[in-house]
Amino acid sequence: MTKQKSSARFRFTGFMLFLALFLFLVPATQVGDYRLYMLAAGVPCVMFLCCTVLARAFSMDRLVLALSLLFCALGIASLALTDPAAAMAQAFGCGIGIIVLIIGAVFVRSLSGSLLTAIVSAFLGLLLLGGKLIAPTFTLPVTQPALALLLVAFAVLLSREGPVSAAAVGILSAVLLLLRGEPADCLIWGITVLLLLFAVDGRPLVFLPALAAFVLLFWGMYSRSVPDAVLPEAVSADFLKTVGVLGIDTLPEGMAFPETSSLLPRLFCHYGPVFTGLAFLTYLPLILRGTTVASCARTRIHAILAMGACLLLGLYAIAAVLSFFGFLPFTVSEMPMLTTSPASLGAHLFLAGLLCGISGRNDSDLAEDAHLAMLAK
Amino acid sequence: MFSVSPEIYLVLSQASRWIFILFALILLSLAWSWHHSDRKERRDRFKNLPGAGTVGELVVLSGSDELPADTWFPVPREGVLGSLRSCDLVIPCPGVSSHHLDFSWQDGTGLLIRPRVGCEVLIDGVPVTRRGMDMPLVHGSVLQIGSAVLRLQLFAALSHTNRTFIPPQPVPGSFSDPMPQPVPVPFSYAPEPVNTQPVYCPPPAPAPYPQQAPVPYPEPYYQESSVPRVPAEQPVSAQSEPEAEPRPASAPRRRRQPEQWKEDWSE
Repeated sequence: MTKQKSSARFRFTGFMLFLALFLFLVPATQVGDYRLYMLAAGVPCVMFLCCTVLARAFSMDRLVLALSLLFCALGIASLALTDPAAAMAQAFGCGIGIIVLIIGAVFVRSLSGSLLTAIVSAFLGLLLLGGKLIAPTFTLPVTQPALALLLVAFAVLLSREGPVSAAAVGILSAVLLLLRGEPADCLIWGITVLLLLFAVDGRPLVFLPALAAFVLLFWGMYSRSVPDAVLPEAVSADFLKTVGVLGIDTLPEGMAFPETSSLLPRLFCHYGPVFTGLAFLTYLPLILRGTTVASCARTRIHAILAMGACLLLGLYAIAAVLSFFGFLPFTVSEMPMLTTSPASLGAHLFLAGLLCGISGRNDSDLAEDAHLAMLAK
Repeated sequence: MFSVSPEIYLVLSQASRWIFILFALILLSLAWSWHHSDRKERRDRFKNLPGAGTVGELVVLSGSDELPADTWFPVPREGVLGSLRSCDLVIPCPGVSSHHLDFSWQDGTGLLIRPRVGCEVLIDGVPVTRRGMDMPLVHGSVLQIGSAVLRLQLFAALSHTNRTFIPPQPVPGSFSDPMPQPVPVPFSYAPEPVNTQPVYCPPPAPAPYPQQAPVPYPEPYYQESSVPRVPAEQPVSAQSEPEAEPRPASAPRRRRQPEQWKEDWSE
């Protein structure tokens, strides 16, 4: 009797659960904090339940779901070493984010692509972006949820009404982002919109004017509205020397992180550049999986949505790393799924949920095709 | 709660960080492997389902030098037809613009055609020039774009799920008769290519009918009769078609089911 070889999925899930266990168990043995023990028990259990029960119940893509959960666990672990209370709060936020992920997966499976969907999502997205301009006291970090909603509106309009109305929504959103003083988000959103426009309607007559309009708009508005922007400092050699290869338990003294909600600097300090680099490379399978999902989608709206979600997540990840090392002239405050902001975390998990839902829909379409082929035989 | 001494923790912490790096490496490679195996599995499934994601095919009846007759294209569920290479269906013929029309499959209706602004399309000889005016293409419909003439052939399985079923029109004078229900057809039909015989449409009966004359049920028909008829000895057709009913003298003689069967399968 031959021994059956376990699949990559089982091995990945097993290693992921062990990593999540040890990420909390090792710091817990330092001071014996009960919250860390709770996290060491709870986080792997929740991950296991999500990868088995929830993925099956909602027909979600298991790889995207597992990678999203892994990033959530890394985010909690980066807080656990120095701030167990914040880690507990982050875990609670991740729990809510998982619910948002499921909502995204269910939402995209039943998304009809009607004009009403486009209007409602565009209105809500633009309202969230314009809220700060209307009421300056409205300081909630709603950029990521707004971009997720605007991506839905953009995809519906592009697949249904053509490139003009979709480009109008894209440009309006970019203007609002620049007026809010968020050039990094504007740049990422603009690149996403332009690439989607080029992918769907590759006519130079449409793409080149949109590109020129975006470049002119970005250049003009950026130089006008952000003239004295504080450039992020590059990571110093002393800082790298202090952190070393494996990282340190405490944050380096005198080191002032920029006012961002990204957990990338904490992960870098606590677990070192090698582990952080490997964690960053783990975004690559997520993006590749997303592009595969987009290329297999049957309808144009799902393809655009999946590709847009991939682009947003991938571009934010790259921009956050480049900004951390000082290669970008502005600060990118969000690393996908490695952020302390609950709104941003929810938006990123919503995008991951879109990918999960579209993948599930692709599978059900393929199963229907197999059924029809069986009937035709 | 349980804790260890600082010396032990120092060793444990350093060792665990190496283990974390090892775990991250393993996870990365396993994620790649998982993604690769899923792609391979999907590719194998697509090999077994060559028509997956498509609803039928467009056969060129007349085209151009670049597009000779009898060329066929698989038709996806939705997309763009035009002369550009980036289109889902590329028709390089004179009179076909770069993005000529959008099409999308709708269950129960057919292939909806939405011409772009300024583009002219004929469906079964009827011009469709206004954007937003949906005229569905059904099995056997002829699409004329520029100098190209294409015929749509839907897959048999789609026809057999009654997605292109057109309910029969009530015959004048038979207002007392209920509408007949579509006959459930057992799943035994021809492999590719699908049958492309002309539509069997019962001609309109001469009006007025004599009130006393028994009026037969109008037979439900399918576009292009892609559905192979069921042999007469099968119980389904025997129940649905009572042969004792006389038919009007002016009506054409209805083909017997075995004849239809032979004719449909002759190709």
